[in-house]
Amino acid sequence: MDSELRLGVFLCDCGNTLSKAIDFSTIKTDLENLPDVTYVNISHDLCLETAQKAMQKDIEDKGVNRVVVAACSPELYEKGLISVIQAAGVNPHLLSIANIREQCFWAHPDKTKAAKKATTQIKLALNRARFLEPVEKTRIPVNRDVLVIGGGIVGIEAALELSNLNLKTTLIEKEAILGGKLNQFPNLYPLQVNPEEMLAARLKDITERQNIDVLTSAELIDVNGEVGNFSARIKESNEEVVRNFGAIIFASGYNTQFSSQIYGFELSNNIITQSKLEEILKFSSEVKEIPKSVCFIVDVSGEHSRVSTLSALRNALGIKEKFGSEVCILCRNLKIDGAGLEKLYRDCRNNGVLFIKFDHLPEISKQNGKIKIEVEDVLVSEEQVSISYDLLVVEETSVPPPDSRFLSSALNIGLDTQGFYQENNIHLYPTASNREGIFFAGNCHADLDLMRALTEASNVALNAYQLLAQEKITVEAERVIVDPNKCRFCLTCIRACPHHAIREVEVDHEKMAAQIVDLACQGCGICAVVCPAKAIKCKDGSDEQILSELEPFGEHV
Amino acid sequence: MIIAERKPLEDIQEMITGYKKILILGCGTCVTICWAGGEKEVAVLSSQLRLASKKNGNELAILEDTIERQCEKELIEVLKDKVQQADAVLSMACGIGVQTVAEIFPDVPVYPALNTKFMGMPEREGVWVETCRACGDCFLDKTGGICPIVRCAKGLLNGPCGGTNNGKCEVDPEKDCAWTLIYRKLERQGRLDVMRKYYPPRNFQTVIRPGKIETLQA
Amino acid sequence: MKIKGAFSPDIIAFCCAQSAYQAADTAGSMRISYPENIRVIRVPCVGRVDVLHILRAFERGADGVLVLGCHDEACHHLSGNTRAKNRVQKANTLLQEIGIDGKRVEMFTLAPNQGSRFARIANEVNERIKELGPSPVKSAD
Repeated sequence: MDSELRLGVFLCDCGNTLSKAIDFSTIKTDLENLPDVTYVNISHDLCLETAQKAMQKDIEDKGVNRVVVAACSPELYEKGLISVIQAAGVNPHLLSIANIREQCFWAHPDKTKAAKKATTQIKLALNRARFLEPVEKTRIPVNRDVLVIGGGIVGIEAALELSNLNLKTTLIEKEAILGGKLNQFPNLYPLQVNPEEMLAARLKDITERQNIDVLTSAELIDVNGEVGNFSARIKESNEEVVRNFGAIIFASGYNTQFSSQIYGFELSNNIITQSKLEEILKFSSEVKEIPKSVCFIVDVSGEHSRVSTLSALRNALGIKEKFGSEVCILCRNLKIDGAGLEKLYRDCRNNGVLFIKFDHLPEISKQNGKIKIEVEDVLVSEEQVSISYDLLVVEETSVPPPDSRFLSSALNIGLDTQGFYQENNIHLYPTASNREGIFFAGNCHADLDLMRALTEASNVALNAYQLLAQEKITVEAERVIVDPNKCRFCLTCIRACPHHAIREVEVDHEKMAAQIVDLACQGCGICAVVCPAKAIKCKDGSDEQILSELEPFGEHV
Repeated sequence: MIIAERKPLEDIQEMITGYKKILILGCGTCVTICWAGGEKEVAVLSSQLRLASKKNGNELAILEDTIERQCEKELIEVLKDKVQQADAVLSMACGIGVQTVAEIFPDVPVYPALNTKFMGMPEREGVWVETCRACGDCFLDKTGGICPIVRCAKGLLNGPCGGTNNGKCEVDPEKDCAWTLIYRKLERQGRLDVMRKYYPPRNFQTVIRPGKIETLQA
Repeated sequence: MKIKGAFSPDIIAFCCAQSAYQAADTAGSMRISYPENIRVIRVPCVGRVDVLHILRAFERGADGVLVLGCHDEACHHLSGNTRAKNRVQKANTLLQEIGIDGKRVEMFTLAPNQGSRFARIANEVNERIKELGPSPVKSAD
């Protein structure tokens, strides 16, 4: 590595617009006088290919080894410019950008002051450039097997998709049989296929695939290691096995719970939960006394759960189909945002299901062996109505799978306020956890309808494939690095890292020290700050780089 | 390990009043781990003192250094040149380190920037609790690994007092009753017979202070 | 001689790349103006900002320091913004200890599209620091 700094500065006046306010030629002359500045260029359009090709040539010809650009926001063209300097043979981390457009000329109407600020910004970008460090890429071998936790339809679908992508998958399910909620649902409206058929087809497929290994009555106990190299302890019946994986997918679903506190009454033989109703509908031929009228109550808490809405609609149709009873659905709101769900609602209406919208919780009591309901019909009559039904079906709350708290703690993956797995960012990374290589699909992390859940199954299969497509993953090596001589092994960084990207290693067969796992590190720099021995360095954004931008300060009036 | 805490800044400022050049010396062992006196804390304190001196118009130059540990003569001796440049040394080690530095460099005033608090361990990130009092006659074999000298408010040796309250201590209701913890531990290990013995009042003079242990060359 | 009425404070704004830096860009794109004496330093996460960086900023003549990161529970690195909040609090204390008004350091949260919020924060803080006056450690060198 060369020790002599040869800075190349590329000033862009954004199609001649900035040069009206700032005199680049004076700046150019000043910069050229600096001992470590090899070359200064003024361009009008660094975003265009011709200028970029010229920039590449300039860098090559002049032997520039640190590049400074003054132009628009790095958010726009940083990646593009990095490609240019890479093509010129300069390490991609040796670029410093001064944002003189969005964060200077466009934000400050006083052009004289803006020009002064731009000059300072350029100086600071040079300061930073002097402390930039190259980061090389390396290829790390990874285990290409994937673990899918949860043998419900989402887990099954994910396993099949992974198998299609030629990734060997282990699917574990804590019950003795696969299927999850599909073993419970009597129908899958708005889908026209019935659950038994859907499952049967997929289960046949799974057994025929060579690269899917199914373990039933199996639970995850613990996971060590990081992405590309997870080591999972699985309890199968009463034995413990250890298997290695490159990625882990949680598809462990949800449970349901009835809370008598919300309603103020208990369940009985004519007040039942959706789950109980589903059981009845599934074995409808065995029902002795068919209820002539059934009332559902949905969205009591005002949280509009999709699962809750869909259970009611699906089961309402189920009742119409099997028993032909009168059906009414009392609801505060219905969440029917999804493919086919509006139609499901219409199907219910067309089949004679009544809908009564309420604002205040209906009063429910028993009278003459029937359920009497007093409700204010908000939508149609705006009057208090009194209705009476044979059977009341109450909604349940979706609750996280029972082992999620334990697994969250053991694996260091986050939970949301309700205890479901917390996705990284609901809009940008809806199936990613806070840990690289661990993904979530289905209702174990969100309130989804079946179609969405199945889409997520495909998503996570692709997420895993993106990671493990090749036997080795290219990664930036030592972008954040622990100096083992300064490391006190106090474990602070290991505990603080939100991505579980720091491991313990033995150094020179002697002492223990922390070591960053390049594949899992996301470069946030939290470890570098918390380290009490200042043993951790972030090459992208080191202390020296940050502090170099703290001077000089401009003169104030 | 030893847990210490930085003294209030005004106390430190009083110690270094009048000096024009000081060496702030960190220690890389216990006090680094408990975030009190490692390289990081040395940098923060230096920055504060520089800001204060600029603000007050005093002249103060600060040298910074951190060594592996300040309780080792050989590791301190190498600092000779730096120490000679300074009017005073502000040590960010525990009391042991401060005294060792003071002994090696008797001509230079050595001041403590920390208060040494106790021997303990991290309960979780950023929280340290005392767990050992160095009583010199370890009792932990009889208490399932839980020390009643530290964790019992009354330092009892033969089971809880009458004030034990649903597993909490009557002296400090926030604290767990140590003997409840000890009972549950021994119960779990099937060793409750250990608690059925009576242990006479302990001899707190097992260690004549200041303590000293002499061994032959190995 | 510096005239108090015309004091233009030197304010450092540590901006996280996921939110605040983009908000500053958004302000510019929407041509919403804020004082040019606010200097933005881009960091990958506001959790990268050290108490030491804040103190050094004052050593180098800053009159105020802003730390701008993602909204609560929206930090891409989970605990980055909480840690930054704690560190800003610590910096307040450390500055108060030496007689520098802790209000010179403040943390705010925003989303990447909140250009007007960025500008509003920048303007308000600028006024506040103006009222506090130049930092008592403004160096002559």
